[in-house]
Amino acid sequence: MTEPVSNLQSQLDSGKFVVTGEIGPPKGVNVDKCLHEAEAYLKNSVAAVNVTDIQTAVMRTGSMAVSHLLVSKGIEPVYQMVTRDRNRLALQSDLLSAYVLGVRNVLALTGDHVAMGDHPAAKPVYDLDSVSLLAAITNLEAGRDMGLDTKGNPNQLDGAPRFFKGACVTPCAEEVEPQIIKLEKKIEAGAQFIQTQAVYDPAAFEKFMNRISHLKAPVLVGIVMLKTAGMAKYMNSSVPGVNVPDAIIKRMADAAKEDRQKVSIEICGELVAKMKHCCQGAHLMTLGWDHCVPEIVKAAGL
Amino acid sequence: MNVGRGNLCYNSVALREINMAHSDLTSRDVASLANPAGLMENQYAPCRWACPVHADVRTYIQLVAEGRFAESVDVIRNRLAFACVCGRVCHHPCEKNCRRQDVDEAVAIRELKRFVAEKVGSSGCTVSRPETQNKARVAIVGSGPAGMSAALELARKGYRPTVFEKHHLAGGIPMTAIPKYRLPRDVLQMDVDWIVAHGVEVVTGAEIGKERTLPSLLKDGFAAVILATGLASSRMLPLPNINHPRVYPVLDFLRELAFDRQPAIGSDVLVVGGGNVAMDAARSAVRLGARRVRAVCLENEQEMPAWEWERTEALEEGVTFIHRRGPVEVVTDGGSIRALRTRGVKSVFDADKRFNPQYDDSDIQDLECDTVVFAIGQAPDFAFTHDSGLEMDSRGRLAFNPLTQQTSMPNIFACGEIVTPPGSVVEACASGVRVAAAVDMHLQTGSIRFNDALPEKIGTIPAVTAGKVLKFQRQAVDIAPANERVAGWSEVDHNLTEEAALGEARRCMGCGGGAEVMVDKCAACMTCVRVCPFGIPKVTDVARIDSALCQSCGICIAECPAGAIISRSLPVGDVQMRTRHAVELLPAGRKIVAYIGGFKASAADWVGQSESVEGVAKVYLASTTRLAVSDMLHALTLADGVVVVGCGQGLDRYPQSAGRTSLRVDHARRLLQSAGFNANAVQISLAAHEGLAGVNEAIRQAISQMSQP
Amino acid sequence: MIVAELKPFDEIMAMLAGSRKVLVLGCGSCVTVCLSGGQKQAEELASLIRLRSQQTGMDITVDVDCITRQCDKEFFDNFKFDPRGYDAVVSLACGVGVGFMSREMPDLRILPGLNTTFYGANTAPGEWKEFCHGCGDCVLAWTGGICPIARCSKSLINGTCGGTNGGKCEVKPEMDCAWLLIYQRLRELGKLDEYRKIRPARDWRKDRGSGVRRLSRQELSQIDEEPRQ
Repeated sequence: MTEPVSNLQSQLDSGKFVVTGEIGPPKGVNVDKCLHEAEAYLKNSVAAVNVTDIQTAVMRTGSMAVSHLLVSKGIEPVYQMVTRDRNRLALQSDLLSAYVLGVRNVLALTGDHVAMGDHPAAKPVYDLDSVSLLAAITNLEAGRDMGLDTKGNPNQLDGAPRFFKGACVTPCAEEVEPQIIKLEKKIEAGAQFIQTQAVYDPAAFEKFMNRISHLKAPVLVGIVMLKTAGMAKYMNSSVPGVNVPDAIIKRMADAAKEDRQKVSIEICGELVAKMKHCCQGAHLMTLGWDHCVPEIVKAAGL
Repeated sequence: MNVGRGNLCYNSVALREINMAHSDLTSRDVASLANPAGLMENQYAPCRWACPVHADVRTYIQLVAEGRFAESVDVIRNRLAFACVCGRVCHHPCEKNCRRQDVDEAVAIRELKRFVAEKVGSSGCTVSRPETQNKARVAIVGSGPAGMSAALELARKGYRPTVFEKHHLAGGIPMTAIPKYRLPRDVLQMDVDWIVAHGVEVVTGAEIGKERTLPSLLKDGFAAVILATGLASSRMLPLPNINHPRVYPVLDFLRELAFDRQPAIGSDVLVVGGGNVAMDAARSAVRLGARRVRAVCLENEQEMPAWEWERTEALEEGVTFIHRRGPVEVVTDGGSIRALRTRGVKSVFDADKRFNPQYDDSDIQDLECDTVVFAIGQAPDFAFTHDSGLEMDSRGRLAFNPLTQQTSMPNIFACGEIVTPPGSVVEACASGVRVAAAVDMHLQTGSIRFNDALPEKIGTIPAVTAGKVLKFQRQAVDIAPANERVAGWSEVDHNLTEEAALGEARRCMGCGGGAEVMVDKCAACMTCVRVCPFGIPKVTDVARIDSALCQSCGICIAECPAGAIISRSLPVGDVQMRTRHAVELLPAGRKIVAYIGGFKASAADWVGQSESVEGVAKVYLASTTRLAVSDMLHALTLADGVVVVGCGQGLDRYPQSAGRTSLRVDHARRLLQSAGFNANAVQISLAAHEGLAGVNEAIRQAISQMSQP
Repeated sequence: MIVAELKPFDEIMAMLAGSRKVLVLGCGSCVTVCLSGGQKQAEELASLIRLRSQQTGMDITVDVDCITRQCDKEFFDNFKFDPRGYDAVVSLACGVGVGFMSREMPDLRILPGLNTTFYGANTAPGEWKEFCHGCGDCVLAWTGGICPIARCSKSLINGTCGGTNGGKCEVKPEMDCAWLLIYQRLRELGKLDEYRKIRPARDWRKDRGSGVRRLSRQELSQIDEEPRQ
């Protein structure tokens, strides 16, 4: 095993159950609020904080800049990187840039299609996909880029980065085998940790974990905080691979408005508690309720 | 608004040789055609093929279906001089070959001919005489169907024909021997008058062999003579007392009736013979008041040659039949007839099916009667040829070359039953047409050579296709009850009503008049394959549509994106041409085009004589299946709105009509909407089966909806 | 086959601004097959132009013609109406036809009446679907005949993304997830190993990455040889 490049990697290497959080940069230059919340609620509760990359294809401030700002505040970022918006030149360049700005964790994603976002007329790039992006990162680490020199040999870098490379998977997709095969490819291409799409069904997740027991990368189960019953229903109908059981929806529906956050924290805590035996960590997606993270961690008995 | 009249010239077939069976049709070929209908001249529907004069049945039935009666009769008369007579008495081989029999029943072609020919009469149809009629004079002996047909054809070719008729009225056998209850005289006269109008001179009461002879005709300036005297005398048998005045040769008996001279008969009439003429004689005897009329013949019921229907009607009128007996002697008692002595018949035909009766002379029986009519066949009368120099053959018949229609003298020709086996009126007409061509060739070139090869015949319709054709009951013809029939000489059966005739005409499947692919335009897009309700188009390299199977619905023509499919029975762009014409006739103001198509649109609508909705140009289509989206949009460039009136589901003559029509109207409206026009300017109503009132109401309603947002 | 569809009518009319004499020119190949640019559609468009002309008093005269292919100049001999006599020709060919006509007849205004949309096939009456993207580097051999470039909305080459939703793509509910189809087909074929292989990043030079593509069949090049005496 190589020397860990980040706190996240070393914690996972140590076998400790790891929690990560997530922030979304704003649409605009006022980054203070998200930085403040990261500092106030996440810094001491989680091992690292994901910074989304133009999430759901809604244009906003970039992941690299905000990741760098987190570094400067002593918070370890997980730099999310999607292949939707940049070709291989830009992606490789941004990786080098992020590295020199102190970023060490990278999560390689394909990214939601531009059709899902607020610029549907944009040209989707997808020069690389998540697998080839991971391969490209591994390649950079080896001191090479994807290009060839005039003799046909790979270009050599003047100083190679080293990243802790992550990938994602949808454990509760209706057809899970193609997801698993692709996950295998991601790991083969260099992925070292896995964060998952939101999971609300511990039994199904355990089944999934059993199916990937041959894969050695640590898995952080994804939990999205439910804000209302309506949101849960919307996720069921519209977010692929997410299934919120009726019992959870009912709990949210039965909760008084002022109690919803509390109930949601309880639900998240219980979910983590029920799944922590079969995975290596949890990735909490709080969608702005970052202040709840400490209570969730507590509720999960961590 | 009367639409479409005169746009189509079905018969002007000025086209270069295109043999459809063996080569592909291209757009260049079509551009060179005056009318694609000419393509059909290369391939006959079975009705036309079987018709002795090869009348263009499909076309004239289609014209009836569109209410274009005068044009229909013109098409009939183009080939058949005796349209009215044949409408009554034709043995209609067309119907026996009609492919509709594979679906339900044959189209009532003869009845339709009768309907349209008598409706139009002699004055309603076109008489087209050549600009000059100054070619040679030709004498025709005999004014029957053969002779008059020959005279007509010669007149059309510019000759000056003169017909010599020994009786005082022209018409031949139809005049002298077909009873009036089957063929009223005024109906026959329509044909004769129309023929005469072409410049045919008819000299009646002129029996050749008396003051005029064949040599004298030639001397008097006739360049050729045509003998068309037919079978003018009745066959008789050399029996004892055969010359008794109450023993009638059948033609004498029928002629007396024809000329309104009551033949003297008793009350107990025996007709000898089992053919159609015998039936005519027996049924006439009933009408003359005989107490008992019996027909005796050699043949049994199955063998007797009379038409089944004629035998049935005779039976209904009280005629009884005695089979398998042959006459031996007319038995008299004092001055009057007591009986016909007969003997039994063992067999009529020999092993080779030749007529060769074998008698049982031990079986003698007297059939009581007081009058006998011998209807055992007719024979030519060659008396008028004596001293003419014409030769007879070894069997006593006129020496005759069927290849040239000539007798032993090159400028004396013959046609009709004098030289052919006994046949029907239409066969005699065919013979007359042929002899006229022979005379023309002889006089113009000195040599006569016929190409008797017919175009190929469209084959049979496979069961799978027949099964997809919608079934429609044949229109029944009313027949008067027997007790009314025998009371006089009026016609037995009634003409089709106009509505029935239109309905019946629309049963015609238009065999061979359907779709044709111009191969150079076809993109092999499969659209025709996908939309044809009958599964006929096939695409190998390009689309091929077997005209023998096509049902002429026009769906593929309307849907083909390449415009590569044409109708063999309609001019290219027919709908748009007719639309332009119809809109031009509208007064100033708001203009609406109404396309009305369907099986049951009312009769008055189809002839365009109905009250109409103001400002509406009605264009009648055989079915709205023939109306393309491009036609609708084209109409909108000429008018303010388009109403498509189709038939309700299952009521059109073609399957899928209602659905296809609706889809196309929807598409036209979408195009209009997307281009920023008022989509409501195109309206659809499926009310064409509701008759005139329903159609007009539908149009009014549709117009009121056009202005709504 | 190339599939195309009629441009918005107002866009066509905007192109025709100032034109008095217009030829609507159908193309008898692909666009006829997909019922967008054949003789009939040319007639339909011509009628719409005439209608607009009548309603606005623009006085445009419109003729209609259609040739077998607008992308081969030998077919230009078959014009029934000479395009040189028109202020503008609205071509109902795909972009190839429009571009080629413009190249061959540079003095004329050849205007596109269609938007060229994709390479597709007929999948149901009146329906065409995209099957190929013309990427220049065919992968169908290892994707069970289902093209991920043309039929995955992200043109992914390594498998399903997280947007696969009940067999459909999250981008459009009526669109199948191509990668799920590929997975199922490969599984049926017993070729899931093809799915398991990592596919390296594609060389987009074979697509549009390095500009205009061309096919050169040297065996059919012009021969410059005098006949021997």
